[in-house]
Amino acid sequence: MSEFASPPPIPEPVLPQPAPRSIAKALGAAVLAWIFPGLGHFFLRRPRTAILYAVIVTATFLLGLSFQGRLYTPEPGQPLTILATFAVYGAGLLNIVARLMSSNPNGSILSVTYEYGCAYLLTAGLMNLLLMLDAYDIAVGRKP
Amino acid sequence: MTAALGRLVPADHFVIMAIYALLISLFFALLWRNEGRERAALFVKLFLALVVGALAVAWIMYPFPS
Repeated sequence: MSEFASPPPIPEPVLPQPAPRSIAKALGAAVLAWIFPGLGHFFLRRPRTAILYAVIVTATFLLGLSFQGRLYTPEPGQPLTILATFAVYGAGLLNIVARLMSSNPNGSILSVTYEYGCAYLLTAGLMNLLLMLDAYDIAVGRKP
Repeated sequence: MTAALGRLVPADHFVIMAIYALLISLFFALLWRNEGRERAALFVKLFLALVVGALAVAWIMYPFPS
């Protein structure tokens, strides 16, 4: 028998299968998380974390607006604007209300802080998308 | 409200970058860690990595203007 015997096979990790009811709850939490940052975590009875997430994401979004950032919309011939629009729409109601209330949703490209504003707005949307996934994972029991 | 926020934060590149690093570090420390002490440690690591990393890249780029 060779001394270089093959190692024993590593067993595949078995992930817990969520029950149908918990999937419905998880989808509800994800939708609430999209509507307003932290709302999904509040729904899952994590009020302290929810408030912190709400403050962080809302502050990032409002700072982005104050820096004259752009609320992206898809433009013909500019495929990257589709991704940017998806990212900004991740902020949920914040984005929708800002579009309705803003006199200039395209921001001000002449402003010194325009690029920073865009980065802040995109980051706020992406953070909220991550919060949706986090709320889903907590609800199905994948995350403690 | 956003105009008031804009007046609060000076249009200074370093300040804006530091606030960005602060928000990102806080967010990921909360998201990726569950214990208070671990969260604080990750927050400090992320914040320093972002700010010091940005300054280091700025210095590396210094000899190559535009």
